[in-house]
Amino acid sequence: MSTPRLPVTVVGGYLGAGKTTLVNHVLRSSDERIAVIVNDFGEISIDEDLIVAADSDKLTLANGCICCTLADGFAAALMQIRSAGTLPQRLLIEASGVADPTQIAAYGHTPGLRLDAVVVMADAEQVRRQADDRWVADTVRMQLAAADLLVVNKIDLLDDARKADDLCDWLAGLSAGATVVRASRAAVPIDVLLGPRSARDTASARERPAPEGAAAPGWHAVEDLFESQTVVLKAPIGMPVIEALLANLPDAVVRLKGLVQAVPPASESDANARETADATAYLIEAVGKRTSMTPHATDPTQPPPRWAISLISHKGALPPNWLQARLRPDR
Amino acid sequence: MGTNEPFVIYPARRVITINPAFPFGDAVAVAGDRILGVGSTDELASWGEHRIDDCFAEHVIMPGFIEAHCHVMSGGLWNSTYVGFFDRRDPQGLLWPGCTSIDDVLERLAKAAADMTDDSQTLLAWGLDPIYFPGERLVASHLDTVTGDRPTLILHASGHLATINSALMDRCGIDETATSPGVARGADGLPNGELHEPAGMMLAGEAFADMMKANRTEQSRWRYASEARNAGHTLLTDLGTTQLWDPDQLSNWKKVTSDPAYPARVMVAMSNLFGGTADPAELAELCVQLKSEQTDKLRFGIVKLILDGSIQGFTARISWPHYYKPPPGHIGNGMWLTAPDQMADLVDPYHRAGLTVHCHCNGDEATEAFVEAVEQVLERCPRWDHRHTVQHCQLTTPDQYRRMAALGMCANIFSNHIYYWGDQHRDVTVGPERAARMDACATALASGVSFSIHSDSPITPLGHLQTAWCAVNRVTASGQVLGPDERIGVPDALRAITIEAARQIKMDGEIGSIEAGKLADFAVLEDDPLAVDPMALRDIGVWGTVLGGVPQPAQISDS
Repeated sequence: MSTPRLPVTVVGGYLGAGKTTLVNHVLRSSDERIAVIVNDFGEISIDEDLIVAADSDKLTLANGCICCTLADGFAAALMQIRSAGTLPQRLLIEASGVADPTQIAAYGHTPGLRLDAVVVMADAEQVRRQADDRWVADTVRMQLAAADLLVVNKIDLLDDARKADDLCDWLAGLSAGATVVRASRAAVPIDVLLGPRSARDTASARERPAPEGAAAPGWHAVEDLFESQTVVLKAPIGMPVIEALLANLPDAVVRLKGLVQAVPPASESDANARETADATAYLIEAVGKRTSMTPHATDPTQPPPRWAISLISHKGALPPNWLQARLRPDR
Repeated sequence: MGTNEPFVIYPARRVITINPAFPFGDAVAVAGDRILGVGSTDELASWGEHRIDDCFAEHVIMPGFIEAHCHVMSGGLWNSTYVGFFDRRDPQGLLWPGCTSIDDVLERLAKAAADMTDDSQTLLAWGLDPIYFPGERLVASHLDTVTGDRPTLILHASGHLATINSALMDRCGIDETATSPGVARGADGLPNGELHEPAGMMLAGEAFADMMKANRTEQSRWRYASEARNAGHTLLTDLGTTQLWDPDQLSNWKKVTSDPAYPARVMVAMSNLFGGTADPAELAELCVQLKSEQTDKLRFGIVKLILDGSIQGFTARISWPHYYKPPPGHIGNGMWLTAPDQMADLVDPYHRAGLTVHCHCNGDEATEAFVEAVEQVLERCPRWDHRHTVQHCQLTTPDQYRRMAALGMCANIFSNHIYYWGDQHRDVTVGPERAARMDACATALASGVSFSIHSDSPITPLGHLQTAWCAVNRVTASGQVLGPDERIGVPDALRAITIEAARQIKMDGEIGSIEAGKLADFAVLEDDPLAVDPMALRDIGVWGTVLGGVPQPAQISDS
């Protein structure tokens, strides 16, 4: 493996839940180069100002990447995207309104790709009715259960806060383990959707200045509802520490992402053995119930990546030094 | 006849007209591409100057068979080696005996591999149906014993799975590190060569893509029509396989069908199943435009939509109590391929444009959703004689048939399922009671719903004598009768494969029966379907067809 694998974000959810709005929001708000695949039979509805050219089978987006369909299968779509000139830093797949997001997410296991997260949209006003609909109840519940990140969209349409709380609790029960976030017009903070900015793939992180506040262990608000913390790692850390971190994340953690050098347990007790040569680079991630540790390819001809872990949590739910404390356990 | 043009009289053992007002004749007269008349040779001779051609004197002439549900890949798949369970005749007329054991499959592949000259070429095969090999699963290690280093891919009959050998796994980088849920694993935890669903099959890369591309060649379109002619068919539909908004695919159809030797008429459905311009209003407009450009052999005007999956794949939408013995981990019901509450809006523009919508509904829940959608569009936009058709219609219930009759809808029933998967439907998918009432031709008839029957080729072999045999006898592959009360008589089955099929594609004014003025499209048979034992219906030989007045002998080679 010579290049980092391309992260794949799947956007699912029933008709009308706001999938397309979310895709447009991501394209508009992210500074990553994102290619889009839609599998809906319906037309591609990317906002016009995000499109620079339209062909019969694809759109060229303002970010230089393309948006195409699964018409000829995933392999063909991938080929179209790779031959489009501008290589993407992320792939966003918008599932059809009746698709099982888990099946679409299976494409994220194609060699060269990496499933980042399954984002499922729910319409705050309609989802209860849809989840009991005579025909689509099972489809809607299957979609909700597939979520790593469940976006309760159009939350502004609910007229009181208790209703919203009840709805979110009920949805959390249907999507066991997913992180539930609320949004209006699909405006979920981009770092929540795609992962903490300071720890996103090195390829993209290197090309732009690190965002303010992320350069050192720190603390800054992502948006009104969330806040983030980042720990920059100056030395490799023990594998058990990382495993314990991922295995015991509190519900308040919305997303975690990091690029770490891990050393195996045998050498962990001996501080002298913590040398970079023995360490393996991993991309670690957590979103909803999904946690993963993926070996990360480093390119020796390039400057070393920035080793750091970032997380986003619900505002006020974690002490500001929570992550720092986890990584330097007293012993 | 207003000209002095000479015409041809074909005396026959019997002419079965499917015209209730004049059911039989001794001969048929053809002038140019049309039928001048049917009756006795003397009656026909009285029209004027003529020539008598005795070539069909020993044969029975029927209206050409009309397959209202099949797909053009029926021709393209023959570029690959057939390894299905049932006997099947290729478009060149060669009989491929069914592979009834894993050893048969391997032997067939070994021979195909030995016949290949280019060592780097991938061996492609199709039609494998593991449901018939319940004891053992055919996996890569089996294939390796006969294919060696040659990459090999078998597409299953369902189209949802593929099995590849170790050489192809190596080439595509499929090993123990594979994380895709589409990569099946054996008891040892290692990938066993089986790839599930598009996400798995795409990992086979070019091999899979090559197989799909073969469906769009001119050769595959010729083979599709040749296979039809060999079975007595004069009109085929391509129901949702062609992307009509793709100028290349459209011009390809125009090219082959404009060749006078092309041996069938083709009705190509508009479909939004595979992406492209999927605004139904735009597609409706395009379809109306194409209809104005249609020729004798290339027709337009029907639209294919799809609501659910397949019963044997446990993906059809079936109402409670859903599936009988689904596989472990099954979610309980099938999957929607189109949201049911979106259906009325999807049908609406086609309905308003005067087109006929044919919707794939295998399960009764899908039928319900389509019937409701038609009710809604009829309330919005009343229209007489739309003939919107429930395709497959396998589990449609009696009350649904009554509603369909009231709405003016048609049914195209997948009768071949009774033979090819009837045992599995009774024992596994839906259980004995519902299996007995599936593909309910007798109920359709009693309810007054115009119905045809179909093969869905390449899913099951094209051939209306076989399909009619299924509807008449309802005998499964194991030889048991499934739901005797849904059997229909031979005369009704013969109507279903001719005039009723023509009716649901709105061509019953031109084809589907042998009457003065209609196109001279005939199936020429070696025996009389109304005289043989109904169990012998499918054994009747087919001489070939007459298409637009031109005799088209079948190619049969049993060498």
